[in-house]
Amino acid sequence: MGDLLGFVLSGLVSGALYALLATGLVLSYSASGLFNFAHGATAYLCALAFYELHSGFGWPAVPTALLLVCVVAPALGWGLDRLMFRKLARVGETAQIVATIGLLVALPAAGLWVVELLERAGAPVQPAENQFGLPGVGPSPAVSWQPLDGVGIDSDQLITWVATALVAAGLWVLMRHTRLGLRLRAAVDNRSLTELRGISADRLSSIAWMLSSGLAGLAGVLATPLLGLSAHDYTLFLFVSATAAVLGRFLSVPLAFAGGLGLGVLQNLVAGYASFAEDITGFRTAVPFLILFGGLVVLARRRRAAGTAAADPPPVDYLAGKGRGRRWGAWVVAGALLATAFYTVTTPFWSGILAQGLAIGLVFMSFTVVTGLGAMVSLAQATFVTGAALVAGLLMSRGWPFVAAAAVGTAAAALLGAVVALPALRLGGRSLALATLALAFLADQVLFQVGWLRNGDTGWEIPRPVLGPLDLGDDRALGVALVLLSGAVVWLLTLLRGSRWGRAVLAVRSAPEAAAASGVSVVRTKLLVFTVSAGLAGFGGVLYASYNTRITATDFTAMTGLVWLAVVVAAGVRRPQFAVVAGLAFAVVPHLLATYVTESAHLPVILFGLAGLALANDPDGYCAALPSRWAARAAAVRGRGDAPPAAVEVPAAVAVAVAVAVPVPEQAPAPESASDSSRAPALDPALDSSRDPVPAGTTAIRRGPREPVPRPGSEPPALALRGVRAGYGGAAVVHGVDLEVRGGEVLVLLGPNGAGKSTLCRVAAGLLRPSAGHVRVGGLDATRDDTVRRARRGVRLAPEGRGIFAGLSIEENLALQLPAPEDRDAVYARFPALASRRSVAAGSLSGGEQQILALAPLLQRPPTVLVADEPSLGLAPRVVDEVFRLLTELRASGTALLLVEEKAAEVLGVADTVAYLSQGGIAWSGPRSEVDTDRLAEAYLGTGVRR
Amino acid sequence: MLRPIRTLAAASAALLLATACNSASTGGTSEKPGAPGASVRGVTADAIKVGGIVSMTTASGYSKKDTDLGAKARYDRANAEGGVNGRRIDYLGAEDDGQDPARNLAAARKLVQQDKVFAVSPMSSVTFAGADFLDGQKVPTVGWGTLPSFCGPKHIYGFNGCLVPTPGGTLNQTWPEGLATVLGGARGKSVALIAGDSDAGKFGIRTFTQGFKAAGFTLAYAKASVPATSMPSDWSAYTKEILRSGPGGSAPDAVVSVMQTPYNIGLFTALKRSGYKGVISDPTDYDPGLLAKDATRQALDGVHVLLQFQPFEAYSPAMTQFKADIKKAAGGKDVPLNMHMMTGYMSADLFLSIAAKAGKELTVESFQKAASGFSDTGTLVGDRAEPKGQKESFGCGALVRLKNGRYEVAVPFKCYPAIPFG
Repeated sequence: MGDLLGFVLSGLVSGALYALLATGLVLSYSASGLFNFAHGATAYLCALAFYELHSGFGWPAVPTALLLVCVVAPALGWGLDRLMFRKLARVGETAQIVATIGLLVALPAAGLWVVELLERAGAPVQPAENQFGLPGVGPSPAVSWQPLDGVGIDSDQLITWVATALVAAGLWVLMRHTRLGLRLRAAVDNRSLTELRGISADRLSSIAWMLSSGLAGLAGVLATPLLGLSAHDYTLFLFVSATAAVLGRFLSVPLAFAGGLGLGVLQNLVAGYASFAEDITGFRTAVPFLILFGGLVVLARRRRAAGTAAADPPPVDYLAGKGRGRRWGAWVVAGALLATAFYTVTTPFWSGILAQGLAIGLVFMSFTVVTGLGAMVSLAQATFVTGAALVAGLLMSRGWPFVAAAAVGTAAAALLGAVVALPALRLGGRSLALATLALAFLADQVLFQVGWLRNGDTGWEIPRPVLGPLDLGDDRALGVALVLLSGAVVWLLTLLRGSRWGRAVLAVRSAPEAAAASGVSVVRTKLLVFTVSAGLAGFGGVLYASYNTRITATDFTAMTGLVWLAVVVAAGVRRPQFAVVAGLAFAVVPHLLATYVTESAHLPVILFGLAGLALANDPDGYCAALPSRWAARAAAVRGRGDAPPAAVEVPAAVAVAVAVAVPVPEQAPAPESASDSSRAPALDPALDSSRDPVPAGTTAIRRGPREPVPRPGSEPPALALRGVRAGYGGAAVVHGVDLEVRGGEVLVLLGPNGAGKSTLCRVAAGLLRPSAGHVRVGGLDATRDDTVRRARRGVRLAPEGRGIFAGLSIEENLALQLPAPEDRDAVYARFPALASRRSVAAGSLSGGEQQILALAPLLQRPPTVLVADEPSLGLAPRVVDEVFRLLTELRASGTALLLVEEKAAEVLGVADTVAYLSQGGIAWSGPRSEVDTDRLAEAYLGTGVRR
Repeated sequence: MLRPIRTLAAASAALLLATACNSASTGGTSEKPGAPGASVRGVTADAIKVGGIVSMTTASGYSKKDTDLGAKARYDRANAEGGVNGRRIDYLGAEDDGQDPARNLAAARKLVQQDKVFAVSPMSSVTFAGADFLDGQKVPTVGWGTLPSFCGPKHIYGFNGCLVPTPGGTLNQTWPEGLATVLGGARGKSVALIAGDSDAGKFGIRTFTQGFKAAGFTLAYAKASVPATSMPSDWSAYTKEILRSGPGGSAPDAVVSVMQTPYNIGLFTALKRSGYKGVISDPTDYDPGLLAKDATRQALDGVHVLLQFQPFEAYSPAMTQFKADIKKAAGGKDVPLNMHMMTGYMSADLFLSIAAKAGKELTVESFQKAASGFSDTGTLVGDRAEPKGQKESFGCGALVRLKNGRYEVAVPFKCYPAIPFG
């Protein structure tokens, strides 16, 4: 019993550190949607800084720790967010993973470099190497107590517990009882809705990164006595704590926190009781990664696009339609030059380096298959390399010829690939990346510890092959052979990409369900992608090992695989020839830097890590980005000569089209609206009682290119769109629309599916910037606003579906918009149904209640403009009446309403003015009184638009 | 579609043919060091060019960079004394391999192909991927023989021999015999051996189990059970098992750790907190730098550390010379001594001694000839002999004990006869 208690208590120490790291991971993930591989590196950096400041400069421990945790680490998080993470949040998942992997190596190197510089400057820094038993915040050596028999604790453990408990309590208070916490949780729940409410999600993301970095810093300072100054250990610690983040599904801070604590205890219990596994070398070492892998497979939520990161759209192929010569000419010439260089210009040293680069390029091409084509991030490629080379070496030691041994090694790697692919069937994105990483560590720690496979530290000799008269023992011969081999593999992979199978992979990548529906087996395709990629990595690995002439089990570790991925993705992962470039760069650049740039060992690593910054701008890598930039520049230069710029050409065309198409004569606004407001009650007596006592303003809907003349003496429209054109990714949806709505008026926008109604709403709310035209709010130009600025001008969008934060309670949903308790009390008084369930999560309300919850705060604090996108969608008729009554009430309080509906029947009752949108243009508009069923039908059937 | 394939095939054939002719004509290697009549790589009338490979920067925080200083100290003295047979040693300094096999090989290639060194000494790292290349290029290499590559290849020498026992070879008995001295005999004494959970850890357990048994100890516990890559924050699971492993559930007389310093600190602290009073020993913690920290000083207090060279605390002319040389190389500063300095110093020393024996006509052949049959006695690493040192350790060592914040010699430096390993 004493044993068990002791194991649990001391397990809570590493558990507390896991919990701190996992919480930080969850915070930063929910802030910008990226898994920060560099989180452990941040912790290391703080540990290093703490050590240098405390032991080197002699600063007192506690203030130094506080300074680091509360100021320095958050500042680092803020800086990284501004420089990098914010941009990364908008690029594909692969680029995100890779950029943080770059940081993972760059941050520790940067820290050590600073120490090196300080040392040179004569500062009293201590060497950062070979430091053990470092002092923490508490007394050093730690004071220990034995409160129970067999249960011992020491001061460092106690400090870790107390600090972690304080942080847990502090986080709880922050998240649950402060306005900032409420906003953070709202942003996690629904980022875009937060922005629609006028809260800057970017600023919240900065705060989340600052918190996250602060937590990493705390973990780093607390772990200093335990982990010392090993960046490697901090990163391993982080990978283990990722399990806890998975447990919290990267969303729930309390779950991640509890998961971290549980993980530490579990790990300790396994260490204490896993005597059954003593015969398996490496089992105990591998326990954390077994837990990580198991956790991922069991806990990861099956996502719609499992196994893929289809969010990365391919870059524009500037060579599309060009001949084969244009596409391949430069590459063939480069290959031929390289092959010739081996026998003409390169020195033996550079021949060797180039041959090495080509060999590693073969391995790198395996990333082109799994990540470039299959859009799955595999961090286990180094495992395939080691596996294949060990098997080949084992066979060659038994007298097998090179070719046969290489073939069997390749097959073994392919088999390993199939095994690693199994989680890919279930997982996607970062979960898959982490799972492959866990498997890579498992292979390092268990599989490659098997004595007969690894042959101790000696490994296996893999002599260079001799094919007839051709002795590849000569670096130059090997180099030329590798140039040819790389050419052949590039060619094969390019064929593969264009083949039926390649198309199947692309289909599975972008839409697995659709692919399955078209008869493509998702399971088989994914298995094949991994198998082919692993086989290729294995084949390249055997050749790379033969360049080295030996393979040992520790030559290519899981961490090597991380760095490889970063190198390949930085160059470009979509084409195999980029992988060859990456391989050459990987081999050559460090020597060039060492020879011509710097003697420091840290600077090249820092530069490499900063490639992640470049990736935030060019997510497709430098190989793809450089030529397309040149091409774009060349096109721009050419374009200036012979074609008018597109921006000038298009609006003119639209103006003409609209002018021709408009079937209804221009209307004079004032009399129309006057008659409208006088006729409205007659049409809808039911609404009369709630009818606006304030005289309605004027609504005008204008079409055509001509600017409306502002009426003298009248207020500007609350919201006005002028000649707005908008669309997505080059496809225009809305072509030159003019709309305006004044305070206390309802403009109803009708139109069939796909007419562009929601797009207009997005333009009005600032979610989408128009490609041409203007948006004015209260007479001021607001075209260039972002969502937050627009919301702060008083424009609110009630988006399609329900504009609520499903994960927050009713009270919290209201509190976000109504900070004053009196306002909330007023809402509850008005809507007793909400009052009785204030602590219930809003997501569990019925559709009608959710819509009312979305509108209720607006009634309390009416916005200038409310844009409501299909507020009646999916509601029962009785509820629809209620919703429209609330909207009418809003009008009465002076809000300008733009209501978008597909079904006309109910909404016409509240309309002052009506506009029909069809195929992206206003087909008809006018006062409600002029609406007749024929026109309605015309608008819906599209016959009203003659285009 | 077919045309490019044909073009590609034709081009490949042409290139391969050219390659074949060329490589056939050069016979595989572009250089033949030491060929008769040719100039010897790295050797001129008045200088010998020597390089080094050392792990300096690493992600694990473990560095051997003082190896470079040790080597420099020894070469500086050699040059001050007039060099080797009239030739000055042109030591280029050590390349940093960052514990990365690829960089280790690249460093070896750079030293040989670009800098054209005659020899590499010191070579001290956790990986030696450049071994096959250096041996193939016939580059005499001296370093810390903790890796199998120091055991066998003709041109590679460990400064205190090859430290990796091979089946059929021999086992160095320094540690068991030294501990037997500490405990007043091995008979009836029980030992617990603990190592990391990896293949290397298992191998360590296997060799030392045999060694301690041969010395007469009983093995109470011998397990490679500690997670090898992520250090436990809590050692109670291990200490509990160890402390109950002795005869009749008692604690064993000695606990022997075959692990790295951070692990040892954790384990030893936990053992002492549990009230363990026996002998604790490990082979890695002889680093006066460890005494600078209260936590390590306390954790290692009383621990017997094995070393395979003369302790710095010993007084001998060679040690006095070593200290003076290091101080001079460090620019006159009293730097804390550590075993990496010794590694570099004695690697350089072995190279210089063999080179001196090779005589005025220094070639790889004459160096190799001088090495086979080289022997001397009374050095800082004991009695040296080649080619014996390419198969086994020189078999000498000492135990020091940390007491009151200072290392003191517990068992003086001595050479022990090896036993067959199988």
